[in-house]
Amino acid sequence: MRTLRLLLRWSWRDLRSHWAKVLAIALVIAIGTGGYAGLTSTAEWRRDSYDLNYRDLAMYDLRVDLATGSFVEEGDIAALVTAIPSAASITGTEERLIISTQVDASSGDEIVLSRGEITGSDFSEGRPEVGAHFAHTGRLLTADDAGQPRVMVERSFARFYELPDTGELQVSGGRTVEYVAQSTTPEYFAVAPEGGMFMTEATFAALFTTLETAQDLAGLPNGINNLVLTLAEDADRDQVQAELETALTSLPVGATVLTRDDNLSYTSLTTDIDQDQAMFNALAFLLFAGAVGAAFNLIHRLAEQQRREIGIGMALGIRPRVLAFRPLLVSAQIAVLGVALGIGVGTLIGNAMAGIFADFIPLPVWLTDFQYAVFARVAVIGLVVPFVASAIPVWRAVRVSPIEAIRPDLTGRGSMTGRRRTVGNSFAVIPFRNLRRTPRRTALTIFGIAAALTVLVGFLGIMDSVFDAVDTAEAESVGKEPARVSVGLDGFRLIDSPEVQAIEGSEAVATAEPLLTMVGSIVAEEDIDVFIEVADLSDGMWIPTMARGELASDGGIILSEKAAADLAVSVGDVVTLRHPQRAGLTSFAFVETEVPVMATHPHPVRSLAYMDLSQAGLFNLVGATNGMNLLPATGFTTADIQQALFPYEQVTSVQSVTAVTDAVRDAFNEMLGIIQMMVMVVLLLALLIAFNTASINLESRAREHATMFAFGVKVRTALRMAVVESLVIGILATIVGVAGGFAIVWWMTQVLLPETLPDFGLHALIGTSTLVAVVIMGVVVVTLAPLLTVRRMWKMDLPGTLRLVE
Amino acid sequence: MLIELKDVTKRYGEGELAVTALADVEMMVSEGEFVVVLGPSGSGKTTLLNIVGALDTATSGLVRVNGVDITAASRGKLFDFRAGTVSFIFQAFNLFPGLTTRENVLFGIDAAGSDADPDEILESVGLGNKGARFPHELSGGEQQRVGIARALATGNPIMLCDEPTGELDFETGVQILELLQAQAGNGQAVLVVTHNREISRMADRVVELSSGHIVSDGPPAGGKAPVAELHW
Repeated sequence: MRTLRLLLRWSWRDLRSHWAKVLAIALVIAIGTGGYAGLTSTAEWRRDSYDLNYRDLAMYDLRVDLATGSFVEEGDIAALVTAIPSAASITGTEERLIISTQVDASSGDEIVLSRGEITGSDFSEGRPEVGAHFAHTGRLLTADDAGQPRVMVERSFARFYELPDTGELQVSGGRTVEYVAQSTTPEYFAVAPEGGMFMTEATFAALFTTLETAQDLAGLPNGINNLVLTLAEDADRDQVQAELETALTSLPVGATVLTRDDNLSYTSLTTDIDQDQAMFNALAFLLFAGAVGAAFNLIHRLAEQQRREIGIGMALGIRPRVLAFRPLLVSAQIAVLGVALGIGVGTLIGNAMAGIFADFIPLPVWLTDFQYAVFARVAVIGLVVPFVASAIPVWRAVRVSPIEAIRPDLTGRGSMTGRRRTVGNSFAVIPFRNLRRTPRRTALTIFGIAAALTVLVGFLGIMDSVFDAVDTAEAESVGKEPARVSVGLDGFRLIDSPEVQAIEGSEAVATAEPLLTMVGSIVAEEDIDVFIEVADLSDGMWIPTMARGELASDGGIILSEKAAADLAVSVGDVVTLRHPQRAGLTSFAFVETEVPVMATHPHPVRSLAYMDLSQAGLFNLVGATNGMNLLPATGFTTADIQQALFPYEQVTSVQSVTAVTDAVRDAFNEMLGIIQMMVMVVLLLALLIAFNTASINLESRAREHATMFAFGVKVRTALRMAVVESLVIGILATIVGVAGGFAIVWWMTQVLLPETLPDFGLHALIGTSTLVAVVIMGVVVVTLAPLLTVRRMWKMDLPGTLRLVE
Repeated sequence: MLIELKDVTKRYGEGELAVTALADVEMMVSEGEFVVVLGPSGSGKTTLLNIVGALDTATSGLVRVNGVDITAASRGKLFDFRAGTVSFIFQAFNLFPGLTTRENVLFGIDAAGSDADPDEILESVGLGNKGARFPHELSGGEQQRVGIARALATGNPIMLCDEPTGELDFETGVQILELLQAQAGNGQAVLVVTHNREISRMADRVVELSSGHIVSDGPPAGGKAPVAELHW
């Protein structure tokens, strides 16, 4: 008992003398365990949150879309649906009218003009049966609003432009509507409009209103073009889908049945969970492994410093288990403190991640409780590692004779150091010899810092790759005409119709070119959806870059390089294009046509495809147009064209060709919050490892430093040697970290993303700014860490340190 | 006079806990002298060595070494002083384990900025063929020879030796003492601190300390003996 009290008292003194190191190593463990828990548990609470909100607001299971520009009478589709054999498994249906529009949300000096969509649903029962809404501000629409010019504006768009909680908007045709709420609905948890891109809230204004109001705004009394339905949990969705497709053939217009998995917003969010989590898991593992490796190394070295005292204890006949008590107690202090701090770090990271996600995705409810079960798994390792790290040097000390333990441990110091004749100053040699004489220790230090840097490079590199793709997309969209403006029409119009002529004749427009925008797919083992722009490719104001191939006189399709690669086709090959073909005045049917691939373009969005206007016959749309490319007249801007064309009812969107890429860039810029948080975490981890390494180096080499000082070597020279040693560690760790980070980025962009987001072609890239940031952290911070020990060098008790007899 | 100490006192601690390690010490050492500072543990001999070597500072008194008053020197000046005036030989050798024998000697050259030839110095201490060895590959005696070679490499006029044979067996200790005596013969002042009275027999002068006071200073009793006659 007395021995135990002595050991406890001794250990307490150890703690007091090493408290900074104990705290720093505990923080390393905390960052590893807490960071792991924080990063790896996002899938849990995101999935829980999505499930809850999709369920509460009745996200559809199946969706019926009529062919573009087609409408049927209210009740027509519902009647077909209720007649299918599996009708009993349908739990809710909602007929809707979805119309394209332009939205003017300008206020004061700020002009906010965006393309958008009005979705009319049935509010007669208080809320739509499928696709209900949640009001973040204002109030939900009710049955009393039917037919009234009242809408709810989609939350992300409103938030992006900081619109008032309620207010007024103008829609196509110059109609003014009151918005009574900023709301969201499951299809818009992430803004990804049909034919558009993910996270495009800046360029797409969704308005939700009653079916009657939508019909009134569209001038289509009783018209609908969409139905969504929910199924019972035990329903066979494929079966119902097939029955619906059969039933819908009796409609006079083409219709498609889509599942919720075909909804870009839904799949983006749900597959995003696994995709993000896979990335977070990899990075969390690295962060954890790096922290644990570093903690192991540091604790091991702390325990090694007690080797001599263990030897003395053995010489005095004290049993090994008693001798092991003191270093293991230090480990216990580190382990307990590390795990306790880990809960704090994990909570901080989890909350920060949750806050960032909540900013992106306006879910009504987020379930973001700290995932203790996930944390517990790594906390066990966090608890065990310090003991193992201490136990090894203790075991090594007690298994040899006391005199060997008392002597300095020189074993193996020469084996890796080489014997080449020294050229030049010995001060220049010492740092390298120090590194090489303890290769395991050096490797663990490098590994710890490199793992932290890998995480950093991984995060930043993925952003670099995305921004590179956005830049490529922008450069491709801009081409030689950066002023080009893209106009969408509300349906197909004859090129020489007054509506189209009116646009061409606007004083803000210098040049106008009609085009067709069609939705189709390339038939393959796994079909690839394509958005085909049919335009004048021989002499148009904008022509896609042809990475391979050229415009062919006998026609063909220009696919993205990503699509060509995924389809395993090249220029000259023939693909089967499934596309709409006008069957009646306003109806379309889907047909399949064999078309040659005449060229490929570099745009990273796989679905973009181009055909020459001479092939409009393929769609039975010769002489028709549903979109236009415009160039502003001298002295006019995109905003001028937007304002000039806004009153035209036939115009549903007017936007700069860079609007979408700008929006994507803005959206990803918002993700910088996560990056900045990880940069701080990694910076702290690298700094802690570097500082602890420098600090322990200083202690374990105290006698060497004292000898140097006894020979008149100045503190700055000794410090310079320590800095050079750290510089080498920093450079090697940075090289390994950049290589590891690039591997993560490559894996993300070439393996993970193609599976989860096949529509985007990304190249693995690490940008210059990332490299600079990593070099600053990996080389500069690590290199300068020994400077933190300068005071202790100055204060060193030279006689006492030199007299120590090992 | 290479080393000159006047009324040197060194106290550690304050008040009731104050300990006087050296009290009013007066001592002179000339070039080529081999001086042994003798005394039991706690007599102040290592403190004296540390003060001469500028590792420690006197509480009062004058310490002039090689013409430099080191009691008034700044910390920075003391580094320069050590680099250019004294060289240490330690009981525990204090070699750099990551450097080879030759590189340890090179360190001494670099620290003092001398232009000595490391190979020549290693040859002079009998380690000409062991320049590529690391300290742990050498015997204790060989390690201390490296320590001496490193000190010689500085080319400094004063060699300060703290129990240089304390870790060595008799035969090896004698070899080391012969080497040190040879340096005095070359004109260096060699100050050896030891508790081993037998070693004092080979000195030119013996300064005996007791409780911080010099109790005797002169040639060894019975005259200077050759190294071969030493026994312990």
